[in-house]
Amino acid sequence: MTMETLLKSGFLILDGGMGTMLQANGLEAGGVPELLNLTNPDGITAIHRAYVQAGSDVVYSNTFGCNRLKMAKTGHSVQELIPAAIQNARNSGASFVAQDIGPIGQLLEPTGTLTFEEAYDIFREQIEAGKDADLIIIETMTDLYEVRAAVLAAKEHGGGRPVCVTMSFEENGRTFTGCEISAMALTLEGLGADAIGVNCSLGPEELLPIVQELCRWTTLPVIVKPNAGLPDPATNAYHFDPARFAACMVPFVEAGAVIFGGCCGTTPDHIRAAAETIRSLIPVKRTPVIPAAVCSASRTVIIDQPRIIGERINPTGKKRFKQALIEHDIDYILGQAIQQTQAGADLLDVNVGLPEIDETEMMVSAVKALQGITDVPLQLDTTDPAALEAGLRIYNGKPIVNSVNGEAKSLASVLPLVKKYGAAVVGLTLDENGIPKTAEGRFEIAKRILDHALSLGIRREDVYIDCLTLTASAEQEGVMQTLSALRRVKEELGLCTVLGVSNISFGLPNRELVNQTFLTMALHAGLDLPIINPNIDSMTAAVRTYKLLANFDHNAVDFIAHYGGEAPAAAKPAAQNMTLGEAVAAGLRHEAGTLTKAMLSDIPAMDIVNDHLIPALDKAGVDFEQGRSFLPQLISSASAAQAAFEVIKTALCEENAAPVNRGCIVLATVKGDIHDIGKNIVRILLENYGYQVIDLGKDVPPEAVCEAVTAHNAPLAGLSALMTTTLPAMEETIRLLRERCPDCKIVVGGAVLTAEYAAKIGADFYAKDAKETVDIAKQVIAG
Amino acid sequence: MLTAVDRRQAFRYMGLHGAPSPQLLSLADVCEKALLSVIRPRYVHRIFPLVHREDGILCEGSTLLLTGEDIRHHLEGCDRAVLFCATLSAAADAQIRMQQQREITAGVMADAMASALIEQFCDQAEQEMLAACPDAHATWRFSPGYGDLPLSVQPAFLTAIDAERRTGVCVSESGILIPRKSVTAIIGLSDHPVQRQKRGCAICNMAAHCPYRAKGEHCK
Repeated sequence: MTMETLLKSGFLILDGGMGTMLQANGLEAGGVPELLNLTNPDGITAIHRAYVQAGSDVVYSNTFGCNRLKMAKTGHSVQELIPAAIQNARNSGASFVAQDIGPIGQLLEPTGTLTFEEAYDIFREQIEAGKDADLIIIETMTDLYEVRAAVLAAKEHGGGRPVCVTMSFEENGRTFTGCEISAMALTLEGLGADAIGVNCSLGPEELLPIVQELCRWTTLPVIVKPNAGLPDPATNAYHFDPARFAACMVPFVEAGAVIFGGCCGTTPDHIRAAAETIRSLIPVKRTPVIPAAVCSASRTVIIDQPRIIGERINPTGKKRFKQALIEHDIDYILGQAIQQTQAGADLLDVNVGLPEIDETEMMVSAVKALQGITDVPLQLDTTDPAALEAGLRIYNGKPIVNSVNGEAKSLASVLPLVKKYGAAVVGLTLDENGIPKTAEGRFEIAKRILDHALSLGIRREDVYIDCLTLTASAEQEGVMQTLSALRRVKEELGLCTVLGVSNISFGLPNRELVNQTFLTMALHAGLDLPIINPNIDSMTAAVRTYKLLANFDHNAVDFIAHYGGEAPAAAKPAAQNMTLGEAVAAGLRHEAGTLTKAMLSDIPAMDIVNDHLIPALDKAGVDFEQGRSFLPQLISSASAAQAAFEVIKTALCEENAAPVNRGCIVLATVKGDIHDIGKNIVRILLENYGYQVIDLGKDVPPEAVCEAVTAHNAPLAGLSALMTTTLPAMEETIRLLRERCPDCKIVVGGAVLTAEYAAKIGADFYAKDAKETVDIAKQVIAG
Repeated sequence: MLTAVDRRQAFRYMGLHGAPSPQLLSLADVCEKALLSVIRPRYVHRIFPLVHREDGILCEGSTLLLTGEDIRHHLEGCDRAVLFCATLSAAADAQIRMQQQREITAGVMADAMASALIEQFCDQAEQEMLAACPDAHATWRFSPGYGDLPLSVQPAFLTAIDAERRTGVCVSESGILIPRKSVTAIIGLSDHPVQRQKRGCAICNMAAHCPYRAKGEHCK
């Protein structure tokens, strides 16, 4: 079965609401409709048959919620229900039966607790159980991440059945989780979906602009399955009659949609009327021109003008970054991301490779964490195909792969992954013979990379060429060769170009000026994607100025927004006459950092910690304890001390000195609980006191706590729970710790805990706040 | 429409007493603006006729059975009830995550502000919903988890009002609503005047060790 077969008559008519028909037949809100496949198969088949008689070519099996989580309490398995449902649909005499797959009903990480991998496995199970259906329809989705899991499972376990996806958008053109129409189209067409579209949420009139936008962003057949108008808020009833519903189909056909059906509130009469209307029309042939673009779920970046790729997430030449990778300090990486995006990065390069670590695991951890805190699209930068594939699998959007090159081995290992996961790719103009000296040589390699990509079905717009910056001090004559190659790639091949800029000035004085000038030259030669450090104002300013002068920044809106205000005050001199202690007490982050930097020139790092930072924190703690200050002040002080501590860590790294470590403490919010702010405050305060904190995050299984305590030989573990429903998980974690790590002391905290309860479940200590946790740590870890 | 955060409430949630420092105020400006620009608040509601039974109160037309003495007391004399679910959307969670990573104080501020906002949004939603039933007398908003109405009712509650599809709100296995800044609640309706009591400490499970009560105050 292929999409072409399904669409051979030009249009494809789907069915209407199943839930609507079931409710009309007396199914209560809250009943499990999937069970009817077993208890009332004839009733289900009768509904399907009514749609077939009304003109539906495809009926959806009654399996919308048929996943292992939702079926857990029914006493019936997915393997039992799905085949029965497909048979019921088949018995209606429909031309085609689609296996219907709705949302799992749990939100994915990081907002929810379901992992991407679990979601994938839940869908895999459904798809394997539905092998008798002719096609797979994934519908009513609002989370692109969940859709990706479903589509990947369908492509990998669906036996080649066509995979169709419809998502539910709000009037603002986004789904509940913020997914953009363009992001849906770019991501799913890239992943190999066979048709995409919209269903549910809005009435047909409100959906029209959304469908029009979708038709501009995809070459795939477009599906429209709207509700019968908007629901009455109090009764949940829908009011469009069949004639009105059918009339609404005309502009969808004009927009280019070819697959139609109805969702909530639609009946066989709606489908009959709609089918008659649609079949009286002629399908519109669309030839959309999809621009070069990448995206996260909620932000699409079109490469129609220079876009900055931030280069700072990369350990090369950075001792502090390397230490962070070795310590699995994801927060440090996230800090680098936030700083760059605030400085103006449109995309972020992510390179987390280091010989000492498991790069695949780190790539997954970093990408998951990064996409949880920023919507800037990512560029996955690795030479390890396993790490690359792991990153591509879990990236929620369409990323850039950095990179492939002209070597046969690289082309063979990287490009198939780019194709499978629908990414864009950076092609480096080098091959087995190294980097060609001439522009001509690099242009030839660019062409070769492009041809390979095209032969695999990768779009031309998704190939970005890097003509490679050589160091001007070593190969001065090469600079213009790079730019000349770049210009030819852009003009003759019509490809986007990318270039790491900073390398140009290596070994020269005044590097910033050299970098900035070269960047401007490259932009003028046609550079689309400069890879730079956006935190350096002159570099970001060069891009903004170029965009102004080259008429990308119309009316200088962006330029004026950045530079039109008052001249930025020269960096504030570190508050005169202020001590580090005072800065911490007042919660001044910037001052605390600056003062620490100045103090490091004549005071040893450890003395700053012991004689300045810790006394200041002690004082903040006592003030808090005695009611002279409140939680916000304590947190602000902790935050200022954190800034000071970061300066000290960096300095120690530069000197190759041992990091400050008073002892290791494992922290976790227990299984099932997702409240973590309190725990995070505790972590920062403990780190400020010099403890090495292994923060396992939230929703942490008892086994993981034990493993971390064992691995780090931690003398103290801190557990947090905020819900009465998650206290049993805390108790279980304590039980397992006692069994497996008898030497480890346990401190617990959280809003629902009391000292008595803590004692009852076997904890050694109860801490009522972050300050008390520090006191307990001092007591447990002496010295 | 949410146009401003109830800062008094947000600062209280943060544990602040007395006047906030200028620093905290400027942080509040940043967090408030960012939060208001990203959240997409929405709610869904449905009115159910109530069947008062021996084993609880059934929301007719659904499988939802409300159990316990406290909800029985709350809905005394009511023949129907508004069930609703309101959320600030997952964008609030993302914003709190990002702010925490930027700076912990900003994270705590964003979290407290979002807590204040969802209450404000519930107030607005309640007004809208009750405006549509002008002749009814209404109780206050009672949520699962208050008193002895168990959190385990959340899945059936959300299903009864189709909240997952209409608002994107899910419930985790431990009964936590996700996105985090979401609320489900029940407002009883009656043709006769009902006791419109306030939510109070009497039915609060935290009453025994509440930091506000310890100081002789209330959380709201």
